[in-house]
Amino acid sequence: MIVIQNKNLRTMMKYVIPFVLIPVLVAISAIVFAGQRYIIISLGIAVLAILLFITGFERKNIGSRRMVITAIMTALAVFGRFIPLFKPITAICVMTAVYLGAEAGFLCGSMSVLISNIYFGQGPWTPFQMLGFGLIGLFAGYLSKVLMRSRWLMLLYGVIAGVAYSFIMDIWTVLWYAGGFDLKLYTAAIVSAIPFTLLYAVSNVVFLLILQKTVGNKLNRIKIKYGV
Amino acid sequence: MKRFEQLNPLAVAIYYLCVLIITMFSMNPLLLGIALVTSVISGILTGTAKLRTHLIFALVFLVAAVLNPLFVHKGVTVLFYLNDRPITLEATAYGLCAAAMLVAALYRLRELSKTLTSDKVLYLFGRISPKLALLLSMTIRYVSLLHIRWRKISDSQRALGLYDDGNLIDAVRGRARVLSILITWTLENGIITAESMESRGYGSGRRTSYAVYRVHTADIIFIIVCLLLTAATAVGVWQSQTAYYPALDMDLLTPWGSAGAAAFALLGVLPLIINAKEAIRWRLLLSKT
Repeated sequence: MIVIQNKNLRTMMKYVIPFVLIPVLVAISAIVFAGQRYIIISLGIAVLAILLFITGFERKNIGSRRMVITAIMTALAVFGRFIPLFKPITAICVMTAVYLGAEAGFLCGSMSVLISNIYFGQGPWTPFQMLGFGLIGLFAGYLSKVLMRSRWLMLLYGVIAGVAYSFIMDIWTVLWYAGGFDLKLYTAAIVSAIPFTLLYAVSNVVFLLILQKTVGNKLNRIKIKYGV
Repeated sequence: MKRFEQLNPLAVAIYYLCVLIITMFSMNPLLLGIALVTSVISGILTGTAKLRTHLIFALVFLVAAVLNPLFVHKGVTVLFYLNDRPITLEATAYGLCAAAMLVAALYRLRELSKTLTSDKVLYLFGRISPKLALLLSMTIRYVSLLHIRWRKISDSQRALGLYDDGNLIDAVRGRARVLSILITWTLENGIITAESMESRGYGSGRRTSYAVYRVHTADIIFIIVCLLLTAATAVGVWQSQTAYYPALDMDLLTPWGSAGAAAFALLGVLPLIINAKEAIRWRLLLSKT
């Protein structure tokens, strides 16, 4: 039952997942399923990617303050998902990533999806959503220096993240529905999702505008005051 | 033996994993029919789906079934032409099966969300990574705490006459102020929590965790039965032939194929059987005076 509490096992997983398990999965998809069941393979790889991140997180010594603040920001993102139509989840992930680091951004994104899906319904889409929002947070963390300097760049990042997220989730919709990738169905899915894509982008911009100052100042203050 | 919901969360998770994997990844029409029927029956009997949900899922079924023949024109048997585009029998059959898969999975996932409550999810994830489990449990706590605090702040702001719901701009401004106060309060408070955790020795040694769930013999038997039935179904899928394009080429009722279908039907109603057995036993145990 206890999977990664053993230290050696953890360090082993760090190498086994990217260099053994994922290639093996891809090989299985090519040989056994003859490239037919993309969805199983992509689901497996999404789960493994999240697992890989978790093993890294488990090894690191993160201060309890940073952890509590990450939990609070994640809870805010979950709380925000109850707002109808406009979802601040991306904005909160980006803010967390920029001020608390890429790792906190990934956790905020993926964990808020995991927890809010307890209320909204878990599904095979959960790993993809977790990975999607996690990566939005992760990249925001890597770009934090640039994003902190210019508010316009941050808004642009919000728009790009919204559109990219929607496009990636459409790939998943098509894979699940058709069993393989079909360009016509994909275009149909993208076209039918245009209102949602716009909604994502707009709500990202709106919430980044609102949160940039308030949350940014508060996180900065906490960082200076307590040295998180 | 206990009721299905009272089994160890691991057993419940494995059960749904088995059912969902077969439902979502086999395009075998026989299995998909069984999946649809069993999931609807169990949705009705367990009361996880209300009338509104049934109607929505029926709509999803219709839309999904129609979508494929409209966009995919592969297949050799043309039924009729629509705007000079051929509507083929093969694409229609595939659309129906995909729709059955979609709706059956949606029913099962709904059941899963209702059965695996947040404490059970926490129990499962806590096994993988204790640090993550702590983060998860803190977050779940903070979600409800944020809600309580939001109400408190909102009430006091309104009592002070600082915002009113009638005016939209005023309402948004008021909400923004409440949010600002909420974040400041919770962040400061979180630092105190962290301080308190550290002074009590968090991170200085191995963490133990409290788990309400134990693995009983019943759980192990249940898991083994699940896995055996799934394996039987998988063999059945392997031994029967399902090809949609270019022409329908199905060979479903081979001995292995029918055995697999029977196993999957049994798997689909397993929780219902367990619960029914418990209900009967309870009836028998009631005192008869």
